[in-house]
Amino acid sequence: MIAGAPRISAPVYQLTLRSLFTGKRILALAALALVPVIASTVFASAGEIEPELFWARLLQRLVIPTITAFIAIVIGASAIADEREDGTILYLASTPLSRLTIIVTKIAAAWTATLALLVPAVLASAAIALGGEADTAQIAWPLAGIALAALCYCAVAAWLAMVVRRPVVIGVLYILLWEGSIATFAASADRFSIAAYGRAIAVEGVIDVNAPDASAPAAFVILAAVTALAAWAAARRMTRTELP
Amino acid sequence: MTEPALVFDGVSRWYGDTVALADVSFSLGPGVTGLLGHNGAGKSTALKLCAGFTTPSTGTVRVLGTDLARDPDAYQHIGIAHDRDALWQFLTARAMVALCARLRGVADPDAAAGRALDQVGLADVADRRLRGFSHGMRQRVKLAQALAHDPELLLLDEPLNGLDPAQRRHIVELIVRLGDEGRTVVVSSHVLHEVERMAPRVLVLVNGHLVASGATQAIRDLIADRPRSIRLRTDDGRGLGRELVGAGLVESVRFEDGAMLVEAGDVERLGRELPRLARDAGVRLRRVEPVDDDLESVYAYLHERARGVGR
Repeated sequence: MIAGAPRISAPVYQLTLRSLFTGKRILALAALALVPVIASTVFASAGEIEPELFWARLLQRLVIPTITAFIAIVIGASAIADEREDGTILYLASTPLSRLTIIVTKIAAAWTATLALLVPAVLASAAIALGGEADTAQIAWPLAGIALAALCYCAVAAWLAMVVRRPVVIGVLYILLWEGSIATFAASADRFSIAAYGRAIAVEGVIDVNAPDASAPAAFVILAAVTALAAWAAARRMTRTELP
Repeated sequence: MTEPALVFDGVSRWYGDTVALADVSFSLGPGVTGLLGHNGAGKSTALKLCAGFTTPSTGTVRVLGTDLARDPDAYQHIGIAHDRDALWQFLTARAMVALCARLRGVADPDAAAGRALDQVGLADVADRRLRGFSHGMRQRVKLAQALAHDPELLLLDEPLNGLDPAQRRHIVELIVRLGDEGRTVVVSSHVLHEVERMAPRVLVLVNGHLVASGATQAIRDLIADRPRSIRLRTDDGRGLGRELVGAGLVESVRFEDGAMLVEAGDVERLGRELPRLARDAGVRLRRVEPVDDDLESVYAYLHERARGVGR
């Protein structure tokens, strides 16, 4: 059943978080989240460009389109794909929870895990790159952009996990080919890029080095709409497909 | 009158060109029912349809008087142990069973988990992580999570797989008890004598068709009474063949690869009289073996028979 107001099931949320934080995958992703921190440290010791410009480039060329995208896609896909592969999703499917509640809960848990890796890394990078001169907007807007883009990636990855067998592979190909390449040089292509809207929000607080024309409110609405659509499509798929 | 717990009405399920279930109709009420068939006969598909994990291509499935796709609240009254060896490895047995009970609306899930694990004989390992569990223990955890919320309907896919003889006995007793308590229990298996021990009723699936249904004993007799082929190796096949036909013990005689193949309507009588007949005819019996005593041929026979009577 898709119908009915979606809610978050606390036991499933906790279970999913626990599952995501078990194993080596989370360590690999945590190491990836450290990349911008390392980049900031290298920059701080070299100090060749303006800190504001470095921070803007770091966010728009590395943190949002690559690090956030990769971590959110892998975690978002795993939250559902692991259970489909193991067959444990059948235990969740044979409960009174609506399919939309299961999907929304999985996305919420994946988002939480993604932010648990990204937020400390972004804050540490900001502290190192900007030193004591950072103002709130320089950190708050990028965090908002990262958080919303991460949510959207998690939802799309959850949908991918319901429709394809290798959601992580497909998701990473999408990041490399579209987000990382085509959408960065073909101006109209970034209209179909999640990272581009994340950047559109981030540049409210930092210098615009690679952001689309969309305003922050428009980007906010578009990311929220894509998230909702992906969650709905994933739940619909879960109702119609054979489990696991 | 209340609707039976499980009703299949003209249910077919196909995957591309493959028919997994063909026009199957039945209804089941309280007690244990065996779902019997060889691997790939459609047992798992039938149980998946019962559990709402897939939808029929045509026909309708009603479970506890409702359609699970529209009314998932009914899962509070259904216990499912599916065939996948799937557990949340990082949880303890107690945590997993309690979680399933909580999700199905049990007021005190920890107490329910303790009871269910005790029922399947896992009380002493309840607080160990599932990662280290043997196959037999994992099977029983699956059963415990299906029991913990005290369901009216139980769907158990090959619940005895991987259990040692003592555990089998224990679980068979448990399943019989669950049926006696008035629950509707469906147990799939590909082993007839296993089903016989717990299910007074049985449904037999062959290649997606429901070829027999009814009292397990009646189906047992049907299987025992079917004509059988026996291969005899002797030093004078033709002489013995004449005697067997003359005595009315066999319906046909054929020679193949130096052995004699006979078709017998009453195998037991043939078994009783064959040694005397051979001795009287002065024929030495080197080897006597049934050629179609495996389950596949039993199913094939039931399939033929079902078609013959124009189902």
